[in-house]
Amino acid sequence: MTEEKPSRLYPAFIVLGILVSVLTGAAYYRDEFRDWKDYQRQFIREEMRRASTPQQRQLAASIPVQIRQIVLPDLRRVDRCTTCHLAVEDPTYGGFPQPLAYHPLHEQHPFDKFGCTVCHRGQGHATTTVDAHGNVPHWDQPMLPLRFIQASCGQCHEASDNPAAPELARGEQVFETSGCRGCHKLGGVGGVIGPELDRVGGRRSADWLMSHFRSPASVTPDSAMPPQKFSQPELEAITLFMLSQTGESITGFYASMKVVPSAVQGRHLFQQKGCIGCHSVAGKGGSIGPALDDVGLRRKPEWIMQHFRDPQSVTPGSVMPRFGFNEAEVLALTEFVLHLRDQNVALSLPSLMSPVERGKEIFRKYGCAGCHGQEGKGGVPNPNAKTGEQIPSLVHVADGYTRAELINVISLGRRQIDALDPKRPQPPLYMPAWGGTIEPAEIADLASYLFSLKPKGDELGF
Amino acid sequence: MSTPIPDKTTSRRNFVQLTCGWLVAAFAVAASSAAAVRFLVPNVLYEPNLRFKAGRPDDFPDGSVTFLEDERVFIVRQGNTYRCLSAVCTHLGCTVGRSEQGFHCPCHGSSFDEMGKVKGGPAPRGLEWFMVTLSKDRHLLVDKSERVDPDKYLVL
Amino acid sequence: MSLPTPKKAWNWLERSRVGRSVFRVGIPKSNLERAQAMVSSFLLHVQPAKVSRRALKPSTTLGLGLISLYLLFILTGTGILLMFYYVPATDRAYDAMKDLQFVVSAGLVIRNMHRWAAHLMVMFVMLHLCRVFYTGAYKRPREFNWLIGIALFLLTLGLSFTGYLLPWDQLAFWAITVGANIAAYAPLVGPKLKFLLLGGNTVGQEALIRFYTLHVIVLPALTFFMVSVHLWRVRKDGGLASPDESADRVEKVAIPDLPTNKSYGLMELTRLTSPQVGKDPEDEVFSWPNLVFREILLFLLVVAVVLFLAVFWNAPLEELANAVHPPNPAKAPWYFLGLQELVSYSAFWGGVVAPAILVTALVLLPYLDRRKEGVGQWFAPERRTANTVFTLFLIVAIVLTVIGSVFRGPNWGWVKPWAQPPAATEGH
Repeated sequence: MTEEKPSRLYPAFIVLGILVSVLTGAAYYRDEFRDWKDYQRQFIREEMRRASTPQQRQLAASIPVQIRQIVLPDLRRVDRCTTCHLAVEDPTYGGFPQPLAYHPLHEQHPFDKFGCTVCHRGQGHATTTVDAHGNVPHWDQPMLPLRFIQASCGQCHEASDNPAAPELARGEQVFETSGCRGCHKLGGVGGVIGPELDRVGGRRSADWLMSHFRSPASVTPDSAMPPQKFSQPELEAITLFMLSQTGESITGFYASMKVVPSAVQGRHLFQQKGCIGCHSVAGKGGSIGPALDDVGLRRKPEWIMQHFRDPQSVTPGSVMPRFGFNEAEVLALTEFVLHLRDQNVALSLPSLMSPVERGKEIFRKYGCAGCHGQEGKGGVPNPNAKTGEQIPSLVHVADGYTRAELINVISLGRRQIDALDPKRPQPPLYMPAWGGTIEPAEIADLASYLFSLKPKGDELGF
Repeated sequence: MSTPIPDKTTSRRNFVQLTCGWLVAAFAVAASSAAAVRFLVPNVLYEPNLRFKAGRPDDFPDGSVTFLEDERVFIVRQGNTYRCLSAVCTHLGCTVGRSEQGFHCPCHGSSFDEMGKVKGGPAPRGLEWFMVTLSKDRHLLVDKSERVDPDKYLVL
Repeated sequence: MSLPTPKKAWNWLERSRVGRSVFRVGIPKSNLERAQAMVSSFLLHVQPAKVSRRALKPSTTLGLGLISLYLLFILTGTGILLMFYYVPATDRAYDAMKDLQFVVSAGLVIRNMHRWAAHLMVMFVMLHLCRVFYTGAYKRPREFNWLIGIALFLLTLGLSFTGYLLPWDQLAFWAITVGANIAAYAPLVGPKLKFLLLGGNTVGQEALIRFYTLHVIVLPALTFFMVSVHLWRVRKDGGLASPDESADRVEKVAIPDLPTNKSYGLMELTRLTSPQVGKDPEDEVFSWPNLVFREILLFLLVVAVVLFLAVFWNAPLEELANAVHPPNPAKAPWYFLGLQELVSYSAFWGGVVAPAILVTALVLLPYLDRRKEGVGQWFAPERRTANTVFTLFLIVAIVLTVIGSVFRGPNWGWVKPWAQPPAATEGH
């Protein structure tokens, strides 16, 4: 046997040692040389270039190169965007190329309280560009294209009537009038044919949503949803509204601004608290308290607000109870009461409406138009359905059903839809049972509305 | 069984190889150790940021001493000069309050004058002053990591 | 088929192939077997096959090192159990402690055992250090083992300190705040050291997870490793220090540099204090069962004491940690109270210089003390100077600790502990 000589292994020792050292060096390089450091140095150079006094120069030179983050425990996130986007608060960087550009319009939502991703989405944890912008696998919320930014307002604020987010309000309006709720539940109200929409904005991108509206079957195989005929602005608006439905629960401080004090919110409260029981509007209502139609002319807004806070303090001996409204509610109610002279607002109080008017509102509210068409005119395809491969129009229900029968169909639904050709697949769309969702009184009003759809003078029967 | 026996005279080549090998190995070990130690030093903190915006200069009336509860500091304005005084008692960390001629700590009775110097009580040293500058969007920017002498203040 | 009798079962364990593969030697019945049992067992072979009678006498070492080791075992066992419920998060740690106290079966007892064993271990490690000093058992050739012992002492303090924070109550939070502030007084590196230790500027979540990691794996791993080396060195340095061994015998070792081709050749090249040459057979007895049995008895005693304390006294748990309500005074754990007392006079001299001098003196001791007298003897008259100096330091340390513990009240001012009810902020 040959002699063992450890020296034969020395070359391997050197090679392996060099290999480990080189790899250690590579690991160090990868860790140490980061994009964000380059951007920060770029910013520091720019600041030094702009410095006009030695003091400013020194201040610029002393800017540390380090990760910057905004910790938001109540929003359960930490945003590191300001590691690269260093000039977001500096107006003198307006229009500067990214990532060093100024971010306008941040007075209402200061960065240290709101961070960035709650509006822009993206991956706040990340410190590399691609990962931070979120268009990566296993991250559900890529950055919103800027034209959809108002979707994020809907996470904390009510969608309707926010003056700073008109696109969002528009989107909600398109949603409500298109009858989406007929098949989809949102906020617990709606049909059961399609999935609930409460979280759709957190899971789907803008592109997916728009494709889905144009041709559902192309993104969701076997979808029963008919292609939607939206104009481009409507499509963008409703996509934006869908993007706002992230289903995130917003806590404490952030939820306190949910009610942007407005006349519409005031109307909700007015209805909710039953003010019509003591006060009258447009001649209808109670007579214990004064009529409210012209209160805006008679009283200053400050007086009205204080009256809501504590009626006895401005009207001694008043029997109006203290409702314990918070400031946002006081503002909303005041707004509403000041606008009572606007006819539309007054007549939109359900308790003041006629059954047919209420029924129309219910038709809209539960999205019947989504399947039965605007004003029940029909035209929505239902492949292989015996009813002309379409969902039936409701215009002539007064001829085909008694009131009781109609209420029955609405309450119990119709699961089985007769097929035209038994060899083809079953018709995908059916009438859900609305009895569990719509109140009996509402169904009665709905029936009244539907009966009213029959064109006058049309005596054709089935 | 033969046991390994190193030659009494190792060749120069062996010596060089062995030395190089150990040097490289030592370098690798040193580099990994350095990385491990650096790993343990935190780069970001989840504590409330020591630099914060106190508000616009005009939010503070002339001659006022305003207490900011969340940050535990006082903003002191005189004319167009702005200062920031820590409200944390140097004794055991309670929050001091205003008194007639300065500040007073409710916990153990330390008292401080208008400039934060100790007037009485167990506090070992005066209240700290922090650096105040003006941010780019014209807010008062307080930096609690920078302690300054009371004669350094922001002049607008 | 009838059940085997215990005798038959035992025979099977001892004699069958399965049994013999696990237990190579059964219950020893001959001297050969007694020796073999020690040498062939993984756990037992840390002990020699034979020990001197002197080693069996309690008065030789008072068993202090063993007691410390047993306390470490108890702490590890109870500690691992506690880990199944404890969560190192600032919003869950305190609740976990309450759960252990109120809803977990045996949770209260196990937690109490852990706490009292921890305090006892710090105390017994200190006593063990004193014993080794007073018997001169740090002298040549045991210098390195003394150093390992110092390291173990510091590790014990570290374990106690890191564990102290985990309950996240007022006692924990403020004791660690004080401790970290003392560490920050070190020149140059002090503030950086505090930052590294706490993972930030305040005692918060980062500090809690760092202390937890140190407490459950880093320090225990180091401790177990060093304990192994410590025990191994005891053997290799010739067993317990005894007056019979003389330095000359150690001197006589000449390590031959002729290679042999015998398999035990390596053993011949080590110090010749083992195997023991020139010793009377009557001076020695077999470790099995004499030593092993006494060790088991001592373990039972330690367990009994810890259990007794755990059953009758609850470990403290004050209010939830609150950073804005410092207690007055805020006291460090008892083993740092002497230090805190010194710090109240001068942060630098008391908090940095004094402990640095203490540790340096301890480390240099065996290399500075080259006198060979008094090894293995308690309070040997030849070592009067050394013993006196050490005793003085000991008394000063105890006095400072007692002062810090009972004679200091709000604002670290003087209080008479007999004049008023004891303050709730006593450190435990």
